[in-house]
Order: sequence, then structure tokens, then C-alpha cells
Amino acid sequence: MTARAALVAGLLAVAASLTALTPVRAAMARDIGMGSLPRGGSYIVDPDPTIASAAIGLWFRAPGAGYDNATPGLSNLAATAAAVAPLASGKSLYALVHSLGGQVNIAVYPDIVGIGAVVPASASRRVIAAITAAYFAPSIDDTAVKTARANAAVLGVQQRYQSDQTLHDLLFKQIFASGPAVYPALPTSITQLTSITTAQVRSFAQRAFRSENAVLTLTGNVDASSVSAVTDGSGTGAMDQPYDSTPAPNPAAATVSGAVDGVGLAWIGPPISDQRAATALDFVADYLFRETTGVVWRGLDTAKSDALVLGQFITLHDPGVMVVTIGGDHEKQAEKQVLDTLETMRQPLDKKTFEAAREAFLYHVATDTQTPQQRADNFGWYTVEGNLQYAPGISDGAYNQVARSLDPEYVASVVRRYLDKPIVVDLIAVPAQKGSTP
Amino acid sequence: MRFAALALAIGLIAAVPSPSQDTAAAGGATIVRQADNNASLVGVALVVRAGLDRQTMRQNGLAALVAETILRTPVTQAQNGVPAAALQDAIAAHGGSIRFTVDPSDVRFYVEVLAEDAPAVLDLLRTAIAAPDFSSATVRDARAALVREIAQTQQVALQVGLDMLNAASSGQANAGLPELGTPASLAQIFAPDAKAFYHAYYRRTGMLISAAGRLDAVPNGALEALASALPAGATSPVTVHVASLHGTTREIIAHRDISSPWLIAQYPAPSVESRDFGPMLVLAAFVRRTLSDIAQVPGVVTPTFASRSVGAVYAYDRTPANLVLYVNGGLIGDPSRAFATALSVVNVLAAAKLQGSIEEVKAEAAGDFASDATTLETRTWLAAVFQRESASPDFIERALRAIAATTPDDVQRVARTYLGNPTIALVLPRGTNVQD
Repeated sequence: MTARAALVAGLLAVAASLTALTPVRAAMARDIGMGSLPRGGSYIVDPDPTIASAAIGLWFRAPGAGYDNATPGLSNLAATAAAVAPLASGKSLYALVHSLGGQVNIAVYPDIVGIGAVVPASASRRVIAAITAAYFAPSIDDTAVKTARANAAVLGVQQRYQSDQTLHDLLFKQIFASGPAVYPALPTSITQLTSITTAQVRSFAQRAFRSENAVLTLTGNVDASSVSAVTDGSGTGAMDQPYDSTPAPNPAAATVSGAVDGVGLAWIGPPISDQRAATALDFVADYLFRETTGVVWRGLDTAKSDALVLGQFITLHDPGVMVVTIGGDHEKQAEKQVLDTLETMRQPLDKKTFEAAREAFLYHVATDTQTPQQRADNFGWYTVEGNLQYAPGISDGAYNQVARSLDPEYVASVVRRYLDKPIVVDLIAVPAQKGSTP
Repeated sequence: MRFAALALAIGLIAAVPSPSQDTAAAGGATIVRQADNNASLVGVALVVRAGLDRQTMRQNGLAALVAETILRTPVTQAQNGVPAAALQDAIAAHGGSIRFTVDPSDVRFYVEVLAEDAPAVLDLLRTAIAAPDFSSATVRDARAALVREIAQTQQVALQVGLDMLNAASSGQANAGLPELGTPASLAQIFAPDAKAFYHAYYRRTGMLISAAGRLDAVPNGALEALASALPAGATSPVTVHVASLHGTTREIIAHRDISSPWLIAQYPAPSVESRDFGPMLVLAAFVRRTLSDIAQVPGVVTPTFASRSVGAVYAYDRTPANLVLYVNGGLIGDPSRAFATALSVVNVLAAAKLQGSIEEVKAEAAGDFASDATTLETRTWLAAVFQRESASPDFIERALRAIAATTPDDVQRVARTYLGNPTIALVLPRGTNVQD
């Protein structure tokens, strides 16, 4: 079966299972179940009764800068405000999860939103009820928006000192011409932040966080019967179509002033539907950039430089993006090392090296997807990006099968096809001026 | 059963299968198993009584050198035509990893591997640990690797501080030495020393093998074979008493090539078999939350640099156990003030009973414990610690039960018993002093 045929079969399987009214068993090696939520939307459950905690995720397709792509930060404010707004019990989702010994994580990306909670297993039903109530029936008021604004302001200042995330946003701005990926997830100025009204936040939340636009992911010590805890939602429609962005036809390099130094490199990659090419770029990122074991990582002279090189292929609906960011010091030497190493990857690795690297890659995927939170996040991300069956970390799942099918010649051809000349952003630190922070 | 009923009543305990343990088939070693058929991996912790307390004071770093030598021992893989490779490289090529940690009384190897490769990798580990290569070249490589790692560790201010505090709090002088040694001490240790240490202390009695994950992929007898890779026999620590210090200060100061100061306080703490274990888990959760709240920007709900700049860690897996509070001066405006506040909070806890319900703090303690025990590495290690300290590897049930049974009086008693007089480490950037 070709990758394309496998994709079509996979998509049909997902579509069939997501529209079913009763739980079905997915065609996966693990005991992973999928089905429809009682009032719209879908769920994925991956139980592991041998551990004492559960991870609960709620994922949506939502454009970060609003449906008109004109309000950067709107999705972030809405996601945060819904978490801190009081529920019927008087407690917010955020407060409830903390009172039960758990943690809430709010992740907002240009095209999607993921809300995660890790809780003791005994608290999972209460948190499932609360998280779906908080988002499927948001009761956002001025106080909640005020908290969300304060949160975004602090995160915005903080991000200025994190070259990785800052460069990520700057690179996306260069390589995309239009669509949500052009805009950062956080407002970039106080003016921008305060111009977003409670009505805008509420309206966005009501549209984006509809139950039918959601997938609930349950992993760890939790089972499908917990889905009955969901009592909110009123949807009968379908999940929104993916919010893709359009690559710039002639992207240009940029030099930008910031609070820290850094260099970023980016390349447009394949869509999630091209499983083999996407997996090949995951392999390349792992082989070159993984902490401790990566070829580039090991090649850095830590005695002479504090350069920190991070590289990953970001699997998106269409297209994906390869990003490398370099922070610390001696960034330009590290950049040259990255580019020189990539040049060597245009030729196939020898068989022995490749086979060892592929086994190591498969192991890294498995070890990076072993906790309930990692699994809940993975299932959520890959579902809203368009291909749950391709989520890494499923034993004998599509991802592993594709990874095992990689060969040196194909990987080299993918490098030649996608990782030619990168778009480069130089981030230059300048002394902070009074009032320059958002 | 009364405690179990109480715990279930307040909803802290989840039904989790207990690990199984087996000592009969392992010839003096203990094997603990936690099967998890949902996992893709097999994780195995192998604990040998060959840690810091088996070294003399002049041999600091020898335990680490032997462990590193084992990782670099050439092993031949099963496939024809594949040349010998260092154990760690051979395991990586099979889809796995191996690392080691030197503890006060043990050296712990942790190997993790894709389930289908577990038989081959466990066999490689058995081969290497049964007959390490103590040639000069391999030992020299191991020493060089340790020196590089020590250099990196010296850039981690928290680790520098903990090393100083552990040295100060250790009842045995040798058990409190840096786990990897120092470049100077390693330079005095040679291949014959490593070989002699291995033959003296790598013995089966007291050895513990803790495995978790897809154990159906592990052939019958493979873990027992790992145990029998070492000869029978027990070993004893090298006793090195440390003279009591009579100084007037309990502050230790070090300067390193770091950008900002770190302030660290260490208190003694109960081990897992103590009746004070549960209350200390609750107390540590309370202190952790209070410090985070103090440091956090008011009204902000997402973790920030400020909230991550402080912390409290109850190291119950260490001997002796301790509680550590820390402030990272690089992430917070006034580290001295934050640190003083942290110490004040602890003092107040010792002096006055917590008012109101402690159920939320207990839930937080349970949540922290449960969410920290989700990787195969932590699960194998916690099972080993609980088996060693309390003869039952059922760490989840024991910890959550202990938390559930904790009362406010217990918390105050434990605060008063343990949190009286901390030892404080200040790790400062070079060129600065305490007054700065």
C-alpha cells in the first residue's frame, strides 16, 4: 500500500470512528479507544491502569489571531480566560485542578489550542466535567479577561528573553505570507493587548471552543466510562477545517532587534499527509539536533562555547516547518556547523550508521511518548492537525511503520528537496529602554 | 485496612497493581517487576552496593570510574560481522540507552530499550557487567569522560550547592564526597584500582534489579541471568567517621563561573519507612506551593520565570534523606528576600500548627507524587527505593496511604523535628561576595 493509499484509509477510519455514536476500537496496536462525546466532539482514550495519574487534554482548531487574522493574542486570551472564569461551582477550572493536586497547561499555537491537565487518577472524572464545562460553555467575564491579559503581559516580557520562542515567531513571520502562522501567539505590545475587549474574547471562545470543534484526549489511569462525566456541549456539526497558512513566495532573511542574541533557520516542509517525508525530517532533526546524542550537539565544543542549538520538524496540517534556533554565544560558528552538517546529509548515510540512527530514532520517539501527558498531547496535536493514526508513540502504529521503512537514499532525497537554502533571522540584543516592554 | 479505607474515603488512592518481587530465584539479589503492557519500552534499574561508601577518602571517583568503564566496555553484538562496540554505543544502536548514577551506598545503572530489542540489550549488559574491560585504554577513556562531565556539572549551581550540602550532612565522610570525584582525585586512580574495586564490591548479595514496562518481551530468566552475572557474596562499607564541626556558622560558600547567585538550604528529613514520611511529603508540598506563590507575579496563572525560581525538593531516595529549598537569583529580582521569606515560612511551620483544612495540600502532595512516577525510570527507581527501605516495592500505595493519613498535628510535629536548623549553601558568581 502506498503512503497515499494508507493515508486515505487512515483518514476514512478516523472519520468513521469520530462520527460514530458509540465507542469503537481504533485499528491500533494499543488498547486505544475513540468515539463521540455526548453533546458533540470526539474523544480518544488510551488507558494505562498501572500508573496513578491521568492526563486530560482538550484540543481545538482555532486561529491564533482571530477569525479575521487581525487580533494577535486573541486565542491566547480566550483560552486563559476560560480556564480562570468561575464555573457553576464557583471555582474556576484552574483553581479546581490545583485543589485536586493537579496542574493545568494552556498551549496556544497559530492554528490550534490545547488545554492539558495532569491529575491524580481519582480526580479524573471531576476534571473531565470541569474542563469541558469551562470550554464548551465558557462564562468569560471582565475579571477573567483581566487575569488573562496580566498573564499574557508577563509571558510576553518573559518570551523576549527566550531566543528559541522569539526566533520561532520571527521565522514564521518571514516564511508565511498570510494566515494565522504570520502572527505570534502573544500580543506584542500593551496597546495590542488592551485593545482586545471582553466581548471579542467571549465571542471568539464561543466560536472556537464549541464541542464539535474539540477532541478530548484521556490517557493514564482513566477509562472510556469517564466520558460520561461530560455534560456540556451543544454541537451537532463538525470540527472546523484546518487553519493553514500560505507560504511566502519569496521569503527574505531578516535582522531584528531584541532582548537576547540568536540565530534562527527555517525551511518549509511537507504537510502531515506526506507521512514518509514528514517522518524523514523528524529523523533528520533527531539525528542532528537531539540533546546529547545529536551529531550537531556532540560537535559543539562546550569548553569554548555556550551555544545552544535546538532543531525540530514541526508537523502541521499543511505545510510543516523545519526550525533550527541557536542561542547562547558563538551563534554564527554554530550556524555554520548546522549548515555544513546539513550539506553532508544531502548524500545518503552509510548503511550501518543509518540503521543505528534509525533504531535510536525509534527509541527516542518511544521514550518521549511514555508519560500520560506526552501521550495526551500527542493524540490531541495529531488529531487536530489532521491525522491521529500517524501520531508517534503507538506501538506498531503508522508512524513506527513509516519510520522503519526509511532508507538512506530516501532521507537524503528529502533533505535535498526540503532543506536547501534556509530563511535566516538574526536576533540582535540591544540595551533595554524604559517603557519598551509590553 | 483502616488506613486504606480512610485513604479511599478521601479519594487519593487510585487502583494500581502492586509490583511483584522475587528473591528466591536470584541467588541473593532481589528482582522487582512492574508489568505495563501499554508501554513500548522495557526499563531496568540495576542497583549494586558499590557506591560512595565503598571508597576510601583517597579513592573519590573510583565508583564512578568503574561504572563508566562498564559503559565503555566493548561488547560483540549477535549479528555476524558486526565489530565490537562500547556497551553504551551498542545499546544505542539497538534502540536504547544506558546511564548510571552513583549514590552514597549504591551505584545504579538504568537501561531502557525498545521492547523487541530487550533480549539482546539485556544480554549485552550482562556480558559487560560480568567482565568489564579494565584495559588502560578503556579506563583512560572513562576517566576523560568523567572529567568532561565534572566540568559541565560545575556550571550547574544547584548541583554545586547540593554537593557541598551532602558532604556536610553525610554521616560517613566518604559517602558525602562528589559522586563523580574530582579531576584531581581521578588523576590518581588507575586501571588496577578500578579492577580491584570491581572485584571487591560488584557482588550479588544486596543487588537489586527493578524492571518495568513490556516485561512480556523479556525472556524468562533474563533478569535472573543479569543477577548471576556477579559472583555471590556480600560487601561492607568502608567506615570513615567524620569529626563533628564546631563552627558558629552553618553557611557554605562557593564561587563558580555562573551568571547569578543561588541560595540553597538543606534540612534533614525522614526516610520512606519512617512514620514521618507522609507528613514530610505534605509539608514539602506546602512549602513548595507557598514559595511558588510568594515568587509568582500576582494574578498570573501560567508558570513563569519567577515561580520557577524557587523550589523545595524532598530527597527521600537519598541516604540520609533531606529537604532542600532553593532560590535561583537569576530569575527573581531580590533572591535574598525570597530566601529569607522561605526560611521564615519553614520556621513558622515549626512553631505553629497549620490552621484550617490541609486536604488541598494533601491532594497536592499526592498529585506531585503520582505525576512524578510516570516514566519507566522513575517507576523502577521508586520501586527499588521502597523495596530497599521498607521491604515493599509498592511505592504508590504506600506513599498515597501515608499522605492520606497525615493530620495537621503530624505536619507540625515533623516541622518541629526536622526543620530547626538548616545548613545553607551560597553559590556565587566569581568576583562577588555575600554582601553583594
